[in-house]
Amino acid sequence: MPVTLTPNAIAAINTGDVNLKPLLQVLDIRLIGKTQERGQERYRLLISDGVSAQHAMLAVQLNDRVKSGRVEKGSIVQLTDYICSDVKGRRLTIVLNMETIVPQSETIGNPPMSAESDTEFQKPLPGPGNIHPPSRVGSVEQHSTNKAPPRGVNITPSVQPAYQPPPSYRNHGPIMKNEAPARIIPIAALNPYQGRWAIKARVTAKGDIRRYNNAKGDGKVFSFDLLDSDGGEIRITCFNAVVDRFFDVIEVGKVYLISKGSLKPAQKNFNHLKNEWEIFLESASTVELCPDEDGSIPRQQFSFHPIGDVEKAENNAILDIIGVVTSVNPSVPILRKNGMETHRRTLNLKDDSGKAVEVTLWGEFCNRDGRELEEMVGSAFYPVLAIKAGKVSDFSGKSVGTISSTQLFINPDFPEAQKLRNWFDHGGKDTASSSISRDNMPGGGSRNEIRKVVSQIKEEGLGRSDKPDWVTVKATIAFIKTDSFCYTACPLMIGDKQCNKKVTRTGTNMWLCDRCNQEFEECDYRYLLQVQIQDHTGMAWVTAFQESGEEIMGRPAKQLYTLKHESQNDEEFAVIVRNRLFHQYMLKLKIKEETYAEEHRLKMTVVKVDTVNYTSESRYLLNLLVGSLQV
Amino acid sequence: MDTSSPSAFVNGSLMRRYIGQKVRTVIQVVGSDVGSVVGKSTDDLQIIVKGSPPTTTTPSTYLEVIGIAENENSIRAEVWTNFGNSFDPVNYNELCKLANGEFKHLFI
Repeated sequence: MPVTLTPNAIAAINTGDVNLKPLLQVLDIRLIGKTQERGQERYRLLISDGVSAQHAMLAVQLNDRVKSGRVEKGSIVQLTDYICSDVKGRRLTIVLNMETIVPQSETIGNPPMSAESDTEFQKPLPGPGNIHPPSRVGSVEQHSTNKAPPRGVNITPSVQPAYQPPPSYRNHGPIMKNEAPARIIPIAALNPYQGRWAIKARVTAKGDIRRYNNAKGDGKVFSFDLLDSDGGEIRITCFNAVVDRFFDVIEVGKVYLISKGSLKPAQKNFNHLKNEWEIFLESASTVELCPDEDGSIPRQQFSFHPIGDVEKAENNAILDIIGVVTSVNPSVPILRKNGMETHRRTLNLKDDSGKAVEVTLWGEFCNRDGRELEEMVGSAFYPVLAIKAGKVSDFSGKSVGTISSTQLFINPDFPEAQKLRNWFDHGGKDTASSSISRDNMPGGGSRNEIRKVVSQIKEEGLGRSDKPDWVTVKATIAFIKTDSFCYTACPLMIGDKQCNKKVTRTGTNMWLCDRCNQEFEECDYRYLLQVQIQDHTGMAWVTAFQESGEEIMGRPAKQLYTLKHESQNDEEFAVIVRNRLFHQYMLKLKIKEETYAEEHRLKMTVVKVDTVNYTSESRYLLNLLVGSLQV
Repeated sequence: MDTSSPSAFVNGSLMRRYIGQKVRTVIQVVGSDVGSVVGKSTDDLQIIVKGSPPTTTTPSTYLEVIGIAENENSIRAEVWTNFGNSFDPVNYNELCKLANGEFKHLFI
């Protein structure tokens, strides 16, 4: 049966009527924080008579009514005992006893959801100046403490307030961050769309820290390469702060567990590994050393090519080769284009394919590995050398050079190395190898020479194609031009070669070189001989430079120059020159037709002067004879 | 040039064509005796050269001998010339064959 609240009960209470025993509805119950003085909980009710509402404090002896649920929001109660007093200008109602009439009920009437008694209250209050701030504070307080937003009329009191403070989640909550270790996957399976991944791999190469400067400022970077047990390889790069974190941790040959890096496309011009991706480590990345030696991960991965393949390879291709070092040349300083000086050293590598290749070591490789190899070869112990990531160059035939990511392994413990060692020690050493590193000049041995007679040069139109022709001719020196047989040359060094440019005289005793831009007192004298050669078929004019000139004249140019121009001893000079005539030599000629203005001139240079070896020459002639007989 | 007594270029097997005539050949010294030298011809046949060789005759030295062929494997030497140690017998042998074969008309 519908309960009727005592009308105007609130007003009556406030005016001091304590005998009313009104029927009121509890709209709200609030636990007021434990007061510090008494350490007791107090409940504050919001009671309504259907029209007005007011707060009332519940006496502590009635606390368990709320706690047990006998009194709750929406309950209709009868206040059987209560007092009302003025506290600092505020009307304070305290419920000393009450009975629950209806435990649960919808809101009766239309009371305000907050106590407006205070505002009402101000009017009947006598007493000077007791109005306002407290009440206002009170109302503010009420508003602020009244967390429940205005309820809709139809909401049942049993409904929880719509707004609740956010629950504080802890790890035992229903959602938990997955801290389980990431699964190890093969490097070959890595891609940017992979979720969490981890790889376990061995460091095969570690680069140096490289500092750079770009629009964003200064930075540093270093990279290292990994190889896993499936043979997958990938490069890892770290920038700036990440460099500091990992540079000392990473060591070549050790195995690491790496996770939480980002995957980006590999830069093919620097990264020669067989992977389209590259890993970049960041602040969240993890690198963990695996101390247990994992035998399933190889130390290095090679794909060796026989030297014969180098011949077919493209210029600038990167590949791995292995061979036996048969000779090592000394290291020479080289001036690079940017003015920096570096070192260069060449060596010869031979393998069981019957081919040999020239390998160029640059920079540090010259000094460290180059020296070691030089010493070994010098003591007639020819080491096996494996080269990982060497670069093919088509300068001077085909050769292989080192780049920054090259790795050299001297006498490594690979099966390929063993095989080569056995081959070399059991005869391979003496087998002839054809070098793929010579340019077109047939200088590899007498069997490569092309032998001609003087008349054939014109007859066959040698020198007319794009490239010069190299031939050997057996001929006699018939005449030597002596008007100008040498020139004044610059003696300064450019890298490992002498400048040799013609110098001009400045002042009385100084020479100036245009190329080196320097002046000096002493110049060099170098041969520039015009010589007439003859054989049984004809004659030709050839030019001989310094080396060939010295062979032909049998003495340094400077000596002759001094004799002719300084001592003015023309007689002795003439005698010497005449004595050099009519000697027969094997002359290696470089023949090329050149165009000066509109004139075509056949230019022939003596590249090498050799005395005739009668035994081999006789053989040659015999063969010619026998050959011509059979025709 | 004295062409009064020409000598034919011979090796071991060609000697029989010139018995009683003047020949010239190169042998490699194998051993020497009193009054004769035993040598190997350029076609590996044994030749005995009678006479007194030059003082410095050691085995494996090459000697050119000009003289009368007494029979098909001995020569009575008139002129000895030391050709040293680095002589190519193969070339000489071919020369002998050609000089008595296709190019005989160029020689005696």
